[in-house]
Amino acid sequence: MAKNQKAHPPARKGAARKKNVLVTGVTGTIGSRLAEALYYDKKVEIIFGVARGDKPYYFNQYDTRRFIYKNLNILRPRDLTNLFLSSQFKEARIDTVVHLAFFNRIYRSSDGESHHSLNVEGTRDLLDRCIESPTVTKFIFKSSDVVYKIRPHNPIYLDENADLNFDPDVDPWIKDRVDADMICQSRKDNGKVKIVILRCSNIIGRMVSSQMNAYFDSPLVLKALGYNPLINLIHMDDVIQAIRLAIHKNVQGVFNIAGADTAPISTFGEINRSRMLSLPSFLLGPANRLMRRLGMTRYYYSVDADRLKYSVLLDTTKAQKVLGFRPRSHVYFQDAAR
Amino acid sequence: MKFSNRKKARQIVKILAPEDYERFQSLKIHDLGFGYDPFGLELESAMLAYAFGKFLHRYWFRVESHGIENVPLEGPVLITPNHSGVLPIDAAMLGVDLAMRMAKPRVMRAVVDHFGAYWPFLNTLFYRCGQIIGARRNFEELLRQGEMVVVFPEGHKGTGKPFRERYKLRPFNVGFLELSLIHKVPIVPVAVIGAEEQYPYMINLKFIARKLKFPYFPVTPLVVLFGPLGMVPLPTKYYIYYGEPFHFYRQYPPDTVHEPETIHELVAKVQARVQEMIDRGLKERKGVFGLGLFPFHKMLSFKEERDMADVKKQIQDKAGL
Repeated sequence: MAKNQKAHPPARKGAARKKNVLVTGVTGTIGSRLAEALYYDKKVEIIFGVARGDKPYYFNQYDTRRFIYKNLNILRPRDLTNLFLSSQFKEARIDTVVHLAFFNRIYRSSDGESHHSLNVEGTRDLLDRCIESPTVTKFIFKSSDVVYKIRPHNPIYLDENADLNFDPDVDPWIKDRVDADMICQSRKDNGKVKIVILRCSNIIGRMVSSQMNAYFDSPLVLKALGYNPLINLIHMDDVIQAIRLAIHKNVQGVFNIAGADTAPISTFGEINRSRMLSLPSFLLGPANRLMRRLGMTRYYYSVDADRLKYSVLLDTTKAQKVLGFRPRSHVYFQDAAR
Repeated sequence: MKFSNRKKARQIVKILAPEDYERFQSLKIHDLGFGYDPFGLELESAMLAYAFGKFLHRYWFRVESHGIENVPLEGPVLITPNHSGVLPIDAAMLGVDLAMRMAKPRVMRAVVDHFGAYWPFLNTLFYRCGQIIGARRNFEELLRQGEMVVVFPEGHKGTGKPFRERYKLRPFNVGFLELSLIHKVPIVPVAVIGAEEQYPYMINLKFIARKLKFPYFPVTPLVVLFGPLGMVPLPTKYYIYYGEPFHFYRQYPPDTVHEPETIHELVAKVQARVQEMIDRGLKERKGVFGLGLFPFHKMLSFKEERDMADVKKQIQDKAGL
């Protein structure tokens, strides 16, 4: 790996306009697609990918002067310190950090505590290092719409100021998302680094480990009897587009990012040709646990208990006006969930 | 509704209401791409609801309406009727009336109470037929989309009032008026007569209502006497009066929302107009069932001359002004 990583050229005059971007969780589906998009982006000079594990084969195609990969565990403060002190990092003059590393609920192990550390403490440590760093001026955190509190009397559209879910008995994964989101918001007035939080709706895409992907991938899709709420699904390409806009535009703050496709759950199930079964709400939790134990699904009902009953869509007015974001891609189930 | 069922739904509508099929089909919705608008309205579900509602409208309640030309054919508008009759059948009849009798039919977007979203089936039924949960943001979004929004300013207190207080308006909420000024939307006052007598309700079982998260749980004598059959509403004759629209926004800028006294004064005007239309309608109607029999209305305790000052005082008392 080290052999491939040749010293990249020093920052040239006039290249200051180009962005040097650090991406955490770069080996994930979205991370690798983002790295690819940034690699072919003429306004980006260097992509510094960080993830746990060896460099995947698909990164070997990239010029190592422009794409640098580092095997790193951001959970460990020592690793983070070493990264920010490393000559590679300093020479790359990273100005933008895109934080994608976040354990998804569906890959959760029995050791929930370590995941909490990575998700929340890792985010906090990384952000603090960015604020201390002399070169980093922007921090982009990909959050999720699960942070919003869903109630029956919610308005259909939730804007960025809607209540977050601070319920004490909320699913730990949602709690992590809310905590990390709040940490980012709490440091927004640091005066140096612009913090952008992108709260994306449910992502559908090949190999993306999202809740809705797992939901529609189940051989038997369970839904709440008597409810058929509207949901919004976003294509992975639109998420990447939103991140790129956040990198290039002079913006900060929280943005809702929603996709082009909105319909009731049963309609998406029908398009996906899912076998759907409606059960009373109180049976959905036990039925989902049973299905997981039998290895039939990777979906966690506890994350979406209210979402399967009440319609909630993201108000993307701010993202449209400030970020210039408009969804362009439609979800394609044949590839995505099957 | 499944894609394949949409065709069947249209066929059912054709059978149930062949003469109104084209009219129902011409209803406009803001389709997001899968046949639903952002609030969950689906044209086929609405068409089915209107087709079934038409039978109640025409044969059961024999709805007679006056002044429908006062409702704008396009653009955002707020319709503010009185609310009564335990179950919101008055809202359904109003919706069917608007869809069937307007020169250019429009979907009624009624604002329903929060409990409507809480209950399974009811939740889906409301959303698919175009009704929305009473959140201010929803309200504003619909007005921005140029929809015809029906708001019952009495809220559930209107439908939940006992029989002895029929046709006495509960104090109007003020939210609708604020939104009409902010979004520059006309207000059409509407009086619905006949709904009060469909379920003559006597007792409110509050403890059951609390358990079920309903605003009230009424018991009517008919349910006591006939069991579930007593749930069938009495075939009272409905009269719907559409008043001339108020254009308050022409005189009052949006900043007026920061002047509660003015707002309450304007709300009092709307309430007084609705009450006036109710009183006039009651005088004119020929009995509860439209047959000249059972002239209950002659025995009503409402004041025939209810002046503005009374209504204004009632609203101001509520607001603590």
